[in-house]
Order: sequence, then C-alpha cells, then structure tokens
Amino acid sequence: VSRTDPSDADLRRVRQLLRWYPARWRRRYGDEFTELLLAEMAEQPSSPRRTANVIGNGLLARLTQAGLTNHELPPGEQVRAGLATVGCTLAAFAALAVAMLAQLATGWQWTSPHSAATTASTLVLTVAFACLVLIGVAAVVPVTWLTARAIVRRDQRLGGPAALAGLTTAVLVVGTRHFENGWPGTGGTGAHHGLVPGGLAAFGWASTLSVSSYWAHPGLLARFPLPEVGWMILSPLAFAGLIAGLALIVRRLELPGALQRYLAALATAAVPAAVAVLAGAASWVLDHGPGQTGLFQPGLVDGTGLAVMSAAVVVALRAVPATLRASRARGDFTSR
Amino acid sequence: VPESSSESAVAHGRANDRAAEHGPLVTFGRYAGPATLILSSLADGAKHGYALTKDIEEFAGVRLAPGTLYEALSRLEGQGLIEAVPSDDRRRPYRLTAAGAQALRVHLADQRRVAEVGLRRLGKTWGSA
Repeated sequence: VSRTDPSDADLRRVRQLLRWYPARWRRRYGDEFTELLLAEMAEQPSSPRRTANVIGNGLLARLTQAGLTNHELPPGEQVRAGLATVGCTLAAFAALAVAMLAQLATGWQWTSPHSAATTASTLVLTVAFACLVLIGVAAVVPVTWLTARAIVRRDQRLGGPAALAGLTTAVLVVGTRHFENGWPGTGGTGAHHGLVPGGLAAFGWASTLSVSSYWAHPGLLARFPLPEVGWMILSPLAFAGLIAGLALIVRRLELPGALQRYLAALATAAVPAAVAVLAGAASWVLDHGPGQTGLFQPGLVDGTGLAVMSAAVVVALRAVPATLRASRARGDFTSR
Repeated sequence: VPESSSESAVAHGRANDRAAEHGPLVTFGRYAGPATLILSSLADGAKHGYALTKDIEEFAGVRLAPGTLYEALSRLEGQGLIEAVPSDDRRRPYRLTAAGAQALRVHLADQRRVAEVGLRRLGKTWGSA
C-alpha cells in the first residue's frame, strides 16, 4: 500500500498503543507492528474496535511473558517466567499471611481463642506458613549463591537487581528491628504464647504494619507517631523493591537444568502449602461473623487480604504446570 | 524439517495426543482460525503484516485485527511454523517453514473431512443445493 508520511498524531497514538505490550515483545515486533498500525490508520483513521483489540492482545502478551497463558515460551524462558511469577505472587501472599499471623499471635499473648475453630485455624495457618517459609528459604539459598557467583564473574545484568534486593532487604530488616519494640503483645500474660515465639511475632507485626485498615481512617492514622506512619509507607515500597529485584534476578540468571527442575518442584510444593495457609486463614475469618468483638476478631483488612491471597493462589496454580512442563522439556533436551 | 524447528515445535507445544493426531494448530485455542488463515496466505510466498491482512481479507472475507494478527504470528513463529525473512524494510515479511507447511496440510485435511461429512449429511437430509 502506498501512503504518505504518517502524521505526528498517528505516530503518537501508535506509540501509546505499543505501551500495552511488554518491552521484550516491543523489541521483537515493535517496528513492524508500528508499520502495520500506521497502514491500518491510513485506511481507517479511527477504530475503537482496533484499539480494544490491540490493548487486549497487549495485555495477553504481558500475561504470556509472565508464563500465565497457554502460549508457552521457549523452555528456559518459560521456567524463569513461571518461577518469577510464582515467587512474586507467593511473596505477596506471604506478606498478608504474616499480617494475619501477627494479629493472631498478639491475641494469643493476652488470652486463648474463644472458639475451637480459631484455635484450629491458627494452628493450621502457623504450621502451613512454616512449611511455606522453609520452601522459600530452600529456593532463595541456591539462587543467592548463583547470583553472587555470577556477580563475581562480572555478569553486569545482575548487579542492579542484586543491589536493589540487598538494599531493600537491609531497609526491611533494620526498620522492622527498630519498630518491633512497639509490639502490642509485649506485657501479655504469655499463658498461650508457645505457638509463635514472641520475638518472631513482634518481627512479623512490625514488618507488616502497613497492612492495616487505618488507611481507611485518616483521622485516626494522623494520631500515629510520625516515624510509624513513615514506616507504614516505606516498608511496602521496600517490600515491592525486594520482590522486583528477586524477580529480575530469576529472569536474568542462567539457571542450570537441574536447578530449574529443583525450583519448579519447590514451586509445586509451595502451592499446597499456600492452599493450607489460605484454608486456615479462611476458617478463622469465616468463623467470626460481624458484630463480635475480641482479640481474635478479623476485620475488613483480613477479608480483603483473604481475597488477595485467593487470587495469588489462583495465579500460582496457573503458572506452576507450565513451569514444570518446561523444566522437564529442558531436561529432555539438555540430556541428549 | 530443520532440527531447530522440530525441537522447538515439540518443546513449545503441549505434547498431547490431540496435537500428535491433528497437528500443532489444535493447541492454538481461539488463535487456530487466524493461524490457519495466515499459513494459508503464506503458502504462496512471503508477506509482511499488512499484505497478510489484505490477502486474507480477499480470499477469506475476514479482516484480522492487528493485535490478533501479531498474536497469531508470534505463536506460529514460536512453534517454528513460520520464520521472519531477513529484510531492511521495517515491514518484516514472514514465510512458511517446512514444519508449517506440514501443519497446514494436516489441519486443512482435517477441515476437509469435516466439510465433507457436513455436506454429505446435508445432501441426504435436505437435498443438494
């Protein structure tokens, strides 16, 4: 088709549409897709249907890059994408679970739960969460070792993400250690505190101070000490930075086939552990209807947390099968 | 079939029985239709995105929206069924690979069987047109 030079407005519109696609896709197809869109616009300047189609497929390409569609990536890439997605979603899941556990552990310091369901759900939540943490540690240790080795060997692509992960970890640990002194469980009777040691409960509470329904009550929030409010803003940002750093490391690190299979197996094991955590949390939240009071009373933030945790499990469930398949496929080819 | 294409097709696709019996296009879900149209268009030579759109519109009466066209193109390329032709033009052309030609042949033969069954049954019950 012959066409005149595109107008600045058309070029701007095309660039805006391209932003719906992930960077990697734009690098591969961006130029030719721009040409196609300009040719389409020369023929039909305005088309809401075309715009919707590009946006929809751009979002689909983003899901594909995250290893979440049936359009599978090359095996090594699929494994890294799947692991990064499972890691990110389960990290967000774990943060909300920690906030719930911290709330329950504080209540436990002062009194025993007044229902068998809350007692049982706290037990399930705690044991399943401990499994999830062990799985997380088993995954992070070899990845950290490989990352450190790659950096020593001057792999420049890992320097930035590793620095981001290290810095945000330092911020989270130092800040949490500082604010855990204000833990509301301090001074409790301690009669039932055996489930989660006080130090751990305080650490969990301080690290998830930002998971709070006080955000919906600015008047009450304004009465908080300023450093505490600052921590409630800084800590989720640091947590997001840590997750982004780890995800970038997993996406960029050359993972040997055996390690890919090991991490894929850990991701598979993490999902039932997360489901058990979710079951414990749901059992606690559903056990208490509205109107009740007490130290074990879940609030709006717990209900919302439950919904987000459910969504995280669904995403992880979606990512794990393709990750496992790809890790095995890679093993088949590397062993030839 | 180039080795890399066959390896890619096996590794990327879901190696299930349906794909083994009916070819890789059955794993494309709702993009199977666009993918078939693209492969059919490329069967007589390489084309770039806009040329594909116009050709498909002409022979099938379907206008593929740009997002759909490129999603199908990237899936076909990922499975080694088409490949980009080196070009200085920003409108990069694509051509069929041997694996793509075979996949199209299997898929169209399947579709022809379905069409024949439908037409035969229509003829028996409703008479020929």
